[in-house]
Amino acid sequence: MTGAAYVEEQHAPAPSSSPPSGWHRLLAPGWLRVPWMMLLFFGIGIGITCLVRWLEGWDPIWDGQVITTVSLVTVPIGFLAGIGGFDYWVRYAIGSPTRPEDHSGHGARSWRDYFRINTDHKVIGIQYLVTTIFFFVVGGLLAMFMRAELAQPGMQYVDNQAFNSLFSVHAALMIFLFVIPAFAGIGNYVIPLMIGAPDMAFPRLNALSYWLLPVAGFMMLASFLAPGGAFAAGWTGYATLASTHQPIGAVFFNMSVQWAGASSIMTALNFLVTIITMRAPGMTFWRMPLLVWANFTTSLLVVIATPFIAGSQFFVMFDHVMHTHFFDFSAGGYPLGYQHIFWFYSHPAVYIMMLPGFGIASEVISVMARKPIFGYRLMALSLLAILVLGFSVWAHHMFVAGMAPWLRVPMMVTSLIIAVPTGIKVFSWLATLWEGRIHLETPMLFALGFISMFVIGGLSGIYLAAVPIDIHVSDTYFVVAHIHYVLFGGSLFTIFAGIYFWFPKMTGRMYDERLGKLHFWLTFIGFNLTFFPMHYLGIQGMPRRVADYVPRFADLNLFISIASFGLGASTLVFLYNMVKSWRFGPVAEANPWHSLTLEWQVSSPPPVFNFDELPQVVGNPYEYGVPGARHAVFNGDRAPELEEVR
Amino acid sequence: MRRGSIVQLVAIGVLCGAGATAVALLVPWLPDPASKQADRIDFVFWFVTAISIAIFALVAAVIIYSLIKFRARPDEDADGPPIHGNTGLEIAWTAVPAVLVTAIAIVSAVVLGQNSRVASASRARPLDPLVVDVISQQFAWSFKYPDYGDAVSATLRLPVHTPVKLEITSLDVIHSFWVPEFSQKQDAVPGSINPLVINPTRTGHFPVICTELCGLGHALMRSTAIVTSKDAFLAWANGQKQKLAGPPSVSGKAVFTANACSSCHTFTPAGATAKIGPDLDKLAAEAKRAGQPLDSFIRESIVNPSAYVEPGFPNGIMPTTFATLPKPQLDALVAYLASGGKQ
Repeated sequence: MTGAAYVEEQHAPAPSSSPPSGWHRLLAPGWLRVPWMMLLFFGIGIGITCLVRWLEGWDPIWDGQVITTVSLVTVPIGFLAGIGGFDYWVRYAIGSPTRPEDHSGHGARSWRDYFRINTDHKVIGIQYLVTTIFFFVVGGLLAMFMRAELAQPGMQYVDNQAFNSLFSVHAALMIFLFVIPAFAGIGNYVIPLMIGAPDMAFPRLNALSYWLLPVAGFMMLASFLAPGGAFAAGWTGYATLASTHQPIGAVFFNMSVQWAGASSIMTALNFLVTIITMRAPGMTFWRMPLLVWANFTTSLLVVIATPFIAGSQFFVMFDHVMHTHFFDFSAGGYPLGYQHIFWFYSHPAVYIMMLPGFGIASEVISVMARKPIFGYRLMALSLLAILVLGFSVWAHHMFVAGMAPWLRVPMMVTSLIIAVPTGIKVFSWLATLWEGRIHLETPMLFALGFISMFVIGGLSGIYLAAVPIDIHVSDTYFVVAHIHYVLFGGSLFTIFAGIYFWFPKMTGRMYDERLGKLHFWLTFIGFNLTFFPMHYLGIQGMPRRVADYVPRFADLNLFISIASFGLGASTLVFLYNMVKSWRFGPVAEANPWHSLTLEWQVSSPPPVFNFDELPQVVGNPYEYGVPGARHAVFNGDRAPELEEVR
Repeated sequence: MRRGSIVQLVAIGVLCGAGATAVALLVPWLPDPASKQADRIDFVFWFVTAISIAIFALVAAVIIYSLIKFRARPDEDADGPPIHGNTGLEIAWTAVPAVLVTAIAIVSAVVLGQNSRVASASRARPLDPLVVDVISQQFAWSFKYPDYGDAVSATLRLPVHTPVKLEITSLDVIHSFWVPEFSQKQDAVPGSINPLVINPTRTGHFPVICTELCGLGHALMRSTAIVTSKDAFLAWANGQKQKLAGPPSVSGKAVFTANACSSCHTFTPAGATAKIGPDLDKLAAEAKRAGQPLDSFIRESIVNPSAYVEPGFPNGIMPTTFATLPKPQLDALVAYLASGGKQ
């Protein structure tokens, strides 16, 4: 029996009512309702704008810039309404009959169900991952264009506007549409299973927060089609450049960040409530796997910090479109205010992009070294320490910005102290390896690659935290090298580790181990050849975000460009492996890695409500080598949710 | 843990450390320093590098040793020993990094204090410190010498072995002043004046680079810092001062140069070849497209650049700051451009 057939038989309840036919299909939630709903809301946006301008007596009544801005709010609402994101709540609000336990939109019967509103956290997790990998590929292609232009000094393929758009959209896609939501996708799939829950706490909210992602991503890309070009002020979008000297494409960036941020916040709330209220009996906080701890702290970071970037982007957009003066110095605004608000989110965002990776590394290393995590409690506590310290370091991005000089030394001290909890984690992973029985499968290769690359990125972070060195290398290629060692060598390697590790659980099939190893080595080598020389370029005097540079850096830039094309090509191996293995790979066992945590104690892929029997957690999650140790037992109690369904 | 394995681990660590040290020493990482501040920053750099090499060697040694010694055989089913932790070890790897980062913080704070301090001991000497106003705009630098009758230069001229205090500001968006050989950097923020201290230690030409993305011409926003002997500097500065004291002769070419029009425009008589803005050799054709007489078209394009935008160029890249040019300078510039460089 193949895995796919198994899915069809067991993994979704039958739809409760017959599907609509004829023109009724236009009214049913789905892709037929999307186009006219988007048009309708586009019209509503135009109508409101023109009505207000007419009532106020403003001239002209038809202002393209304002209409575009308003449409970026209303059209996505139309899309979400069309796809069915609000159906249940609208029906409830207008008093129509609703069925709280309607599971017709739960679980996947065929590939088509992945393109619909679905409330199953496992389907949503896969939707997240496939969508984010799509944007990862697009963002990577933008980087390839950039490296092609940078292969030689002078201008070859693109003009300045296009080049500035390339690096701006590359960074924005990779951060807001890849790393952050990819971790949300892995968490979505794994966290409920790990804590013994049948689903997330708010499945309909979960579906809505997923469908905000394509909205944000395509809005970001659509800015290339806007007159005047895409936004070109860098992903940091500093005022006053972003608020005064940008084409209308900048508004697409401002609003895209809002939609992606809303998605993040909703998911984070969902994780928090799920982890706090839906743990299986016996799953105390100190028995939670470290990935659950990591998502818990990450979600706290998201909920506290994300509103700040929302604020900063709204203010810039108001300055740009409505001619307010938040950051306009000539009218009493404060340009540095933008940077303070922006980094108050965007530094914690670095940990939003790293802590889930720490969690994944802990899972993979413990299982594949066949040893308990060394110092489990200190590992969890250091996550909390990073959470708290993460909010006290934002101004280290502003050492040369001209802020209050006294702020520099305190921010340097907190930035350096954050190396201590991070060091605890690295040393604990190393101690976990010590005397283990190390199995070097692909996830473990990526986890070990992560540790070694993240150590280099962490050490270059020490250079940047030390104010005098930062003054020299700030805003140069040294910073480009540093963030790629942290976000590519760090976050992306753990995302790959996680995808390979849980691939058999998610798809019911095994990936190709040889291709996986090939992917790792190509990525590892290509990554170092691409990014390590950038340290040198930066220290020597090459600023970041330039399309043109002085001829003495030409040879090294050509070398970096060639290496980066190799790095880009390594992704093809990954994509081929995923597609081929998902379709044709050998059927996976329930627990191929012999792991103790709960997600591996159910079938691959898991039943539609995860646990046919309620798990009883009786011990710690990493008791490898302890004779007879169990993390959880199944003593035959049927899961209560399932009884209601049947 | 047996003694033999400790020796092996240490040997791997020494090898990794030696490799990292070779990379650190054999590659000429740092630009040749040209200021006292750069010398101090280089010290911090090597201080942090020494600590980093030690940490890198430790981590690399443990990973490599583990991969060699603790690999599972294929099909091995056994687990490792159930070691849950070791309080002594965990205290050690919390305390030791804490001590190291404290040391880095102290060294950095001391150097930062020294590098921000202006030596202002002897007010009597004329060059102590030399104050230069650094004015940035899209996409050009200009340097004003208040001690020398507000002389303005497109290059930064400094005397060697003299404390210099730069007072950096911007007229439009945020820029950033950086000279790699001086190792000093400071953002130029519109509406505020940010100080930066430099003590040049050797003569030469060094690049001035804008490091904060400031718009389409960002990559080309460069200038040169020329450090000369004190005598040569004084001769140049006093010459500039006298030129200003003489009868005001406004040359259109001087206005063109001083406002760095050449950083964005092509204009053959001035030797300008940039392509960010419209080609000023073709002004007559452009005025025709705009449907205006040449003189008033040029004037309007300088004072109110959004009134007519040449097709193929985005609106808003021409700074609006030139609207504040004094009328004699503006007239001279318009005449210079309208005459194709003859006036």
